[in-house]
Amino acid sequence: MNNKNKIKIFLVDDDALFLKLLEMDFLQHADFEIETFATGELCIENLSHDPDVIILDYVLDGLDKNAMNGIETLDRIKTFDEHIPVVMLSSQDKIEVAVSCMHHKAFDYVVKSETAFIRLQKAINSIFGFQKLEKQLNWYMERM
Amino acid sequence: MSIINRHESQYARSLIEASLDPLVTINTKGKITDMNEALANITGMTREQLTNTDFFDYFTEPQKAREVYLEVFANGSVTDSPLTLRHGKGKLTDVLFNGSVYKDNRGNVLGVVVVARDVTDQKRIATELNEAKISAEKATKVAEEATKVAEEATKVAEEATKVAEESKRKAENATKIAEDAVKAKQQFLSNMSHEIRTPMNAIIGFTKVLLKTDLTAKQKEYLTAIKMSGDSLIVLINDILDLAKVDAGKMTFEQTPFKMVLSLSAMLHLFETKIQEKNLKLVKVYDDNIPEVLVGDPVRLHQIILNLVSNAVKFTSNGKIIISTHLLSEDEKKVTIEFAVTDTGIGIPENKLENIFENFQQATSGTSRLYGGTGLGLAIVKQLVEAQNGTIHVKSQVGEGSTFSFTLSFLKTNADAESELEMVEPDAEIRNIKVLVAEDIAINQLLMKTILDDFGFERDIAENGKIAIEKLKATSYDIILMDLQMPEMNGFEATNYIRNTMNSKVPIIALTADVTTVDLAKCRAVGMNDYIAKPVDERLLYSKIVGLVKKPVPVLEQKVHVQNSGDRIKCIDMDYLIRRTKSNPVLMMEMISLYLEQTPPLISAMKQGLQDKDWNSLYLAVHKMIPSFSIMGISSDFEDMAKKVQEFASTQKHAEEMPALVLQLENICVQACEELEEEFNSIKNTNP
Repeated sequence: MNNKNKIKIFLVDDDALFLKLLEMDFLQHADFEIETFATGELCIENLSHDPDVIILDYVLDGLDKNAMNGIETLDRIKTFDEHIPVVMLSSQDKIEVAVSCMHHKAFDYVVKSETAFIRLQKAINSIFGFQKLEKQLNWYMERM
Repeated sequence: MSIINRHESQYARSLIEASLDPLVTINTKGKITDMNEALANITGMTREQLTNTDFFDYFTEPQKAREVYLEVFANGSVTDSPLTLRHGKGKLTDVLFNGSVYKDNRGNVLGVVVVARDVTDQKRIATELNEAKISAEKATKVAEEATKVAEEATKVAEEATKVAEESKRKAENATKIAEDAVKAKQQFLSNMSHEIRTPMNAIIGFTKVLLKTDLTAKQKEYLTAIKMSGDSLIVLINDILDLAKVDAGKMTFEQTPFKMVLSLSAMLHLFETKIQEKNLKLVKVYDDNIPEVLVGDPVRLHQIILNLVSNAVKFTSNGKIIISTHLLSEDEKKVTIEFAVTDTGIGIPENKLENIFENFQQATSGTSRLYGGTGLGLAIVKQLVEAQNGTIHVKSQVGEGSTFSFTLSFLKTNADAESELEMVEPDAEIRNIKVLVAEDIAINQLLMKTILDDFGFERDIAENGKIAIEKLKATSYDIILMDLQMPEMNGFEATNYIRNTMNSKVPIIALTADVTTVDLAKCRAVGMNDYIAKPVDERLLYSKIVGLVKKPVPVLEQKVHVQNSGDRIKCIDMDYLIRRTKSNPVLMMEMISLYLEQTPPLISAMKQGLQDKDWNSLYLAVHKMIPSFSIMGISSDFEDMAKKVQEFASTQKHAEEMPALVLQLENICVQACEELEEEFNSIKNTNP
């Protein structure tokens, strides 16, 4: 975990508008530390900032064909540190997309919509609940 | 005898003879020795016959007479002893017997002189007096009795008065009880209708909302069935309420000027789909002599014709339905019009014609199984027509069809008809309307939220009148939708406060499940502008809101995004952004500039993709565009359009439609960019 009290979240989306909106929501509703990135590359470069959660858009190569797409970015993050929870975000509600995200070890998959923020919040809550359980489990395991 | 003696003797004799009272002398032996004429008269015998006869024989009670006679000898005299003399022919004379003895010179008793005074008259008088006395006494008694009776009577009368008063009180009580009962019935019906309508409101409302979402054909079919059932249940509840109102004499009729032709044809539109579905023909015959504007109750007229026409449609499987109007008579003040609805349906048997106007009657019990319905429709029609002094008739032939005709009178007027609220189509571009909904029931709040969001209106919810007033004090709203029954402060009180204490003229529409006429009058009295019955008809709600908000020039004070964009209709709507940024100008400007930055490259990428037939690029560019539509409040039509492009791009079908769609998307994005630039500048100027 971080030394700082605030939870650090990376938001990654090439849709600047949606990115801004999401940032606004996070800042308004909870005391998070937010870093936003327009591309997967920028996100990877800054992984050393130690994010607690990454919210990652699925389609990152909409404009730039050579840009890293969401799944690639996800894989790179997991290679860097497989414990960083990543929630995938997409305007696609196709099941194949969601399943493929989960196969690539995403923590959750959220469809971009009016209620996306609420569902992201829930996902983040469950991430921390999950992490806490994991820690407790480890603590007991060590003592068995 | 000497001469003097003779004279004296003659003189005495004539005195005796002159006396009207019988005089008689009797010797010691009881024999009559002398008498006067009066005795002869009273006994009806001659002096000769009487002389030397037994004196006592002439009395009715000889023994008593002898005793009196002996008494005279014993005492020397007797006074007023009553006896009765008998006439030879039977006539009786009451006499008072007075007698005294007479003696010779030596004092020897010779006999008795008796005077029997005739007391017949006296006796008669006495008897009469007695009788009079008796009758007087009787009379007195009678009088007393009468008094008693009178007293009794008085008592009885008093009792009667008491009873009368009692019964009057009882009658008054009974009247009051009856009135209370009617009131209670009204209240009960009103409450019941409220209780039934509130859940029905939610059921129908959410069914409508659900019907707009993506559904499979089956789901749609089921939901449509739910909605139809709900609608008919509401109709039934309304019908029952109407009948109850007529029964209670509470049905009131408006007197408003309206245009008959327009009113009728607008109403008949409702049947077009149904008539087409059944492949029937609708014929309208309108008498042009009917004055254009008339005064009456168009709503009730609609109700009557609606019921008749829906019956006609229901019972006709082929042929036509004719709706005709005919001017029967016209004078200076009013016109009488005959309306007729003729169908070529199943007809009604003659012996059933009498009953069809009764509550819950259908011509045959089989009818309801085959055609549905409750049989309340015609009962209401009859009540409505007759309550307006009209008449209704029916002619029918089984298998041929039926004609229902009714006559109603309308007043003539020079006034213009109130322009009926035209249905504003929901896609007419009216946005930025801020609605305050005062509604206490959570499910209705949710429904109103859903509907208003659908309209693209900004909305705020208050749980009761008090909260609504507080909200209204803090923020300005374009219109208030006010439920009438709320805890803490109800709709009437709240409206009263808004109108009279806050002096606000903000339009208020009453939301009511309880449409008794009493309430409507009350709505108007407290200053509400309009009302709408639950379950809310979306289109009606929309046109009422827009109608009321448009009428007075909207006061859009302190709204940074107000601008004069000329005649062009704005494609963007800042509501979402304002809400999301909580009206923070810095954030809003940031968002707008981001859009302005990112959109032009997307437009060119989209165009490029189309040009190069690079479907994947096209797909991705459009994909990125989609979220921005809703953020900037651009109509969802464009979002749908973009999704279509996406679909075509991924399936590579309908390529020929693509250029037109892409062009439209480009245009709307360019327009949005221009408008957002203006918006950006105006925010910048108002927030230096």
